[in-house]
Amino acid sequence: MRKFKIAMALLAGSIGFSTAADARVMIQNKGSDTLVNVAQAWAEEYQKVEPKVAVAVTGGGSGTGIAALVNGTVDIANASRSIKAKELKLAKKRGIEPMEHIVGYDALAVYVHKNNPMKSISLAKLAEIYGEDGQISKWTQLGLEVPGCKSQKMVLVSRQNNSGTYAYFRKAVLGKKRDYKLGTRDMHGSKDVVDLVEHTPCAIGYSGLAYATPHVKMACINKAEGEKCTDPSVATASDRSYPIARPLFMYTNGEPTGATKKYLDWIMTDEAQCIILKKGYAPARAVTCN
Amino acid sequence: MSSNIYAATDLNLRKQKNEKILRILFLMMTLMLIAPVLIILITLIAKGGPILSSEFLFEFPRNGMTEGGIFPALLGTIWLVAVSLLVSVPLGVAAALYLSEYSSDNWFTRLINLCIINLAGVPSIVHALHGFGAFVIFAGMGTSILAASLTLAIMTMPVVIVATKESLQSVPHSFRVACWNMGATRWQTIRQVVLPNATSGILTGIILEVSRTVGETAPIMFTGAAFFLPFLPESIMDQTMALSLHLFVVATQVPGVPDALPYGVALVLIGLVLLLNAVSIAFRMYLRGTKKW
Repeated sequence: MRKFKIAMALLAGSIGFSTAADARVMIQNKGSDTLVNVAQAWAEEYQKVEPKVAVAVTGGGSGTGIAALVNGTVDIANASRSIKAKELKLAKKRGIEPMEHIVGYDALAVYVHKNNPMKSISLAKLAEIYGEDGQISKWTQLGLEVPGCKSQKMVLVSRQNNSGTYAYFRKAVLGKKRDYKLGTRDMHGSKDVVDLVEHTPCAIGYSGLAYATPHVKMACINKAEGEKCTDPSVATASDRSYPIARPLFMYTNGEPTGATKKYLDWIMTDEAQCIILKKGYAPARAVTCN
Repeated sequence: MSSNIYAATDLNLRKQKNEKILRILFLMMTLMLIAPVLIILITLIAKGGPILSSEFLFEFPRNGMTEGGIFPALLGTIWLVAVSLLVSVPLGVAAALYLSEYSSDNWFTRLINLCIINLAGVPSIVHALHGFGAFVIFAGMGTSILAASLTLAIMTMPVVIVATKESLQSVPHSFRVACWNMGATRWQTIRQVVLPNATSGILTGIILEVSRTVGETAPIMFTGAAFFLPFLPESIMDQTMALSLHLFVVATQVPGVPDALPYGVALVLIGLVLLLNAVSIAFRMYLRGTKKW
């Protein structure tokens, strides 16, 4: 069968070709869907910095990325949570030494209308506002009178349930087992949450810090009742004093070397850190961007 | 009273009326079936048409994939289809030849047929995980066009086998008998008489395969397709972007994508399938014209 022979020859030919012409350096980067857009923007920009190095980005979730690192199929795994003990054990068994690099922070701010007199709020009160069977549903219950909000009934702005922001806010504020209250307005984007709060005097919402605008107000967060509150900012997210912020990680197998090291070093430069800021997350350290 | 015995009785009239009603009913159902196709096509052309340009087709995505083109994904899909065809067509045709021309109807053949039917029924996500385990990890191919294409090839092989088998069996048995009586061997008969007469049916199988290969997302997501790649694939050991995954990504994963972009990607995806099909349909019509019975 001539066709078959040609096919096999072509197949063999292209395999040979690939090993012969491998001048390009590949960095495999896989994981978190939270980080995937940032990782993509970095890969796109890095192409201009190092044209010979290609960063291949794939999503799939933090677990997928870490599993791929354990399997040895990626150079860098992206994760929006730290590696689990079980995953670490499995990695060690396979001779992989996952090394953690914090590349930025995902800080969630609690937004209210700019005329809302609320200054600070505690995590416990937030849980009563957002959590299932929560007792707080009116601004007056917090001792506040919100101008422009006739009924003083809170409008709860939340996210759609497959968003990472939704999952993280639930874990950090409500606790793992508690569900959200029914009747929240579930928005399909971080920006939409802020937009709605801006136009609704009764509203309260949570969204990424970087989506803040001058037309909304961000609440200062108390870890516990009576404690001093912490304002959301890149600095408080970075030093981890702000309670609703999670670090975003990149994992490598052991100390990174060669192209991977150069790439991770570049990620910590102002140029790359401004990209993560533009994508709606807090950078790993304070930077000034134009 | 002279009644016309040829005049329609009440029963006749009722029958005719029923006939009419049923005819209209079935026509409506047929129209309902094609309505979604039309709605999809019109929506895609209306919303995605304006974004189509040579820049959209032949440039890299830019600015976090919210601007620029889809060239790496378009080219990647063509790679995936080509390599998976190179694998599945020879193997599928060979298997169909064995089943149709060589094997006798015994428990072993029936077992093979059962396996092929079951293979066709395996969900694509299962094929994806199998491909990931077998090709990416075990065979050490890594996430590559080769691993993704092999996964797609296994998934679409039953289509090729069944279509080929049916077209081989549609070649009249008397052709073979005549050939054997001339002293030709089994292989000579297949090569000179059976295969040439079955080509159009085999092409039908390939058309079906191409359509499925182009559209599948799950099997390639784990095995070879990337969210973003800053380069074009140069060999089958490279990863690639692909239209189907790119559509999923721009429609659901990337913030700030202009509305027209996902529609444009979908339109190109459908356009590519139609184009590939048109080529093989034209070829098939040409072959049908040369058929001798």
